[in-house]
Amino acid sequence: MTFSLLHATDFADRLLYKIIPPLKAGMIVLADRYTYTAFARDVTRGVDRQWVRELYSFAVRPDLALYFRVPIDVSVDRLLARRVKLKFYEAGMDLGWSTNPVESFRLFQGKVLDEYDHIVQEFGMEVVEASGSITEQQRLVRTLVQRQVAVTHSVEVSDDDTL
Amino acid sequence: MTTHSDASGLNGANGTSTVGRYYGREIPYLPLNGYPGKLFVIEGTDGVGRTTQIQLLREWLEVRGYGVAETGWTRSPLMQPTIELAKASNTLNKLTFTMLYATDFADRLEKEIIPALKAGFIVLSDRYIFTALARAGVRGIDRQWLRNLYGFAIAPHLVFYLNIDVKTLSRRVLESRGMDFWESGMDLKTGDDIYDSFRAYQSKLLREYSSMADEFQFRVVDARRAIDKIQDELRRQVAAYLEPAEKPTEPALTR
Repeated sequence: MTFSLLHATDFADRLLYKIIPPLKAGMIVLADRYTYTAFARDVTRGVDRQWVRELYSFAVRPDLALYFRVPIDVSVDRLLARRVKLKFYEAGMDLGWSTNPVESFRLFQGKVLDEYDHIVQEFGMEVVEASGSITEQQRLVRTLVQRQVAVTHSVEVSDDDTL
Repeated sequence: MTTHSDASGLNGANGTSTVGRYYGREIPYLPLNGYPGKLFVIEGTDGVGRTTQIQLLREWLEVRGYGVAETGWTRSPLMQPTIELAKASNTLNKLTFTMLYATDFADRLEKEIIPALKAGFIVLSDRYIFTALARAGVRGIDRQWLRNLYGFAIAPHLVFYLNIDVKTLSRRVLESRGMDFWESGMDLKTGDDIYDSFRAYQSKLLREYSSMADEFQFRVVDARRAIDKIQDELRRQVAAYLEPAEKPTEPALTR
């Protein structure tokens, strides 16, 4: 619970200082992770699914939410190939499921990914298959983003702000 | 008097009362299985005399053979430094303020309150979620959101609300430690004068507390009286609650 609430507090702080002001100024805000991360991770840690959604109900609904989906094996391989030391909490070591970091990561993140599958449905996120090449992914992302930006932009132009 | 809730609070499961249970959505990994402990809350605004009353109550309970654990607002070792730091800087807003409190509470609930209840302690809580609800309510945070947020709190067996009027409170605070920035609601920026701000802010807080009295079954105690008079009343009510429910000297009978 404290883990969940601490992250929510951090999120609230960033929302009010880093996200809402630029949105008000008509800027595009790119968020690396959003409330969905909390929904997946906190629920995997045993927090009530509905409670965490209500907790984050003050968040701004994104115009576009992308989910980069990757099988757990690819995720593990990528991390290990870069010889990244798996982080304690990222590997869910706090849950005590395994004393082996890699095994723990696999168990924990596997469950997190399952949770994400529900979330994608629930919130209508756009899925990008992240096992593909970077170029492929980026092309898809650009198409999806362009659709949004085009819409927003035309609205702004028609506003006819006087200087 | 909510005497019917005594037994169900003690035995857990079959009661119609929520006493000793989660208010709302429970913490899935921490089911409450009719723990033997009791949670007594002393609520009241800043400077009303809660801490003094708790000290006296604790002594009295311990002399009578009860194990007593104490917990108090923002006393979580995990969160206290962070909260102090955030209060000292100017970066805190009403939302993050509310959530830091909730984090502190969650930590103490998991690490102090629930383990103590499990072990059969009487937990005396100096303030409880009602302080959070009142403070956030005054600051315009959505009431329903707050109640959902604190749904994981345990409904205390007894909630004593030390009630006072602003005039008496102002004098009492000025006689002791003086008015402090946060207790005067200076963050609400209603004016530069700390005295006026204190009066206005505390009046609002008192209204918030009063409005919760029925919802959360407060036992309202007149806190304008002398310390020993208040203490007598607390002891009388606590004794009436504990005696029929449990005899700490005969634990074998409850098995």
